[in-house]
Amino acid sequence: MQIRQTLRNAFPVILLTVVVAICVTILTGVGGITLPRIEAMERQKIETMLSEMFPDMTSYTFEDELYTVYSDGDRIGDAFTAVAKGYGGNINVLVGLQDEETIKGIIVISHTETPGLGSKITEAFFTDQFLSVTVEDVALRRDGGQIDAITGATISSRAVAEAVRTTASEKIDLLRGNE
Amino acid sequence: MASTSRKEFVKGLITTNPVFVLLLGLCPTLAVSTSIDNALGMTLAVLIVLLGANVIIAAIRGFVPSITRIPIFIVIIATLVTVVNLLFNAFLPDLHETLGIYLPLVVVNCIVLGRAEAFASKNPMVRSIADALGMTVGFMIALLMISFVRQLLGTGEMSVFGFHIFSLPVLTEHPLAMFILPPGGFLVLGLLLALLRWKGVLKL
Repeated sequence: MQIRQTLRNAFPVILLTVVVAICVTILTGVGGITLPRIEAMERQKIETMLSEMFPDMTSYTFEDELYTVYSDGDRIGDAFTAVAKGYGGNINVLVGLQDEETIKGIIVISHTETPGLGSKITEAFFTDQFLSVTVEDVALRRDGGQIDAITGATISSRAVAEAVRTTASEKIDLLRGNE
Repeated sequence: MASTSRKEFVKGLITTNPVFVLLLGLCPTLAVSTSIDNALGMTLAVLIVLLGANVIIAAIRGFVPSITRIPIFIVIIATLVTVVNLLFNAFLPDLHETLGIYLPLVVVNCIVLGRAEAFASKNPMVRSIADALGMTVGFMIALLMISFVRQLLGTGEMSVFGFHIFSLPVLTEHPLAMFILPPGGFLVLGLLLALLRWKGVLKL
C-alpha cells in the first residue's frame, strides 16, 4: 500500500523525465540530420562569395581564419571575415585583400540591421565604395576617409568601415609577419 | 462534431483573435511585422509549432498530472521550436536569416503555451487541431494587416517574396522609416486595434 503511494507521488517526476528523454532523442536525431547540411551550406556560401570577389579563383585554402585564394596555383589574394558592432547586432563582413595594402572588395555575410535603413549596407552602391581602396582610407568621409555613409544609417556604415579597416590592418600585419 | 470544430476554428479568426483580442504574442508580432515576407515566414513557424503542440498535448492530456503539466508543455514546445529552427536553418536558410532571433523565441510566444494550457489540455484532438488552425490563421491575418501598413509606409514598396506588386513613388523617395522601426510597430498595432473596435469588427 505504501509502495503504491510512493509510486503515485513519484509519477509526475517519472513522466517528466520520460518526456525530456524522448525530446532529447528527437532533437539529437534532427540535429544529426540537419547539421551536415547547415555546415555544407555555410561553406558553399563563403565559397560563392569568394569566387564572386575573385572571379579567377580556382581554389582556396583556409588557415588561421584567413582564406588564401589561388588561380591555377598562383596566389591572387586573401580574404577574411570581419565582425562589426552594428546598430542592431553583429555584422559579419567578408573582406578580400588584393595585396598587402589594398581592399579587393567586401560582401556582407549576415547582419541584423534595421530593414530599409541599415540593411542597405548589403547593397552594391555601398559595398562598391570599398573596391580597390587603400586600407588606411577605409573610413567614413566625415572621419577622414573615402566612404560615403548611407543616409539615415551612419552607425551601420561607420561600424562596417571601422571593422573592415581594423581587421584588415591586423590581418596585413599577420601576413607580413609570416613572410 | 464537425460543427463544433468549425466553431473552434472560426473563433480564432475574429472573436478571439490571438493578437487583436487576446493580445498574446505581441513580441514576435511587433518584431517581425516589418514586411509581408517576414509575416508569412513567422506564420509558417507558428503553424508548425502550435499545431504540433496542440496535437501532442491533446493526445497526452489524459495522464499528465496537473502539478507537472506546465514543465511538460514547455519541454514539448521547446523541442518543437528547436526542430523547426534546425529545419528552417537547413532547408529555408534565407527565411531563417530574416526571422533571426524571433524564430527560437516562438518558444516563449504566449499564443502557443496559452492555447496548450487553455485549450488543448482540456479538449479532444480534433477540436484542438481546429483551435490551432484557427489561431494560426487569426495570427496571420493580424500580422499581414500590420506588416502591410508598415511595409508600405516604411519602404513605399509592396513586394512579396521578390515579386513586385506596386509602389508609391512619393514614399519610395522619402520612406517613413519610423514605421519599420519599433515605434511604428506599436503605433500601427494601436491604431489598427482602435479602428477595428470603432468599426465594430472587434467586440469585448
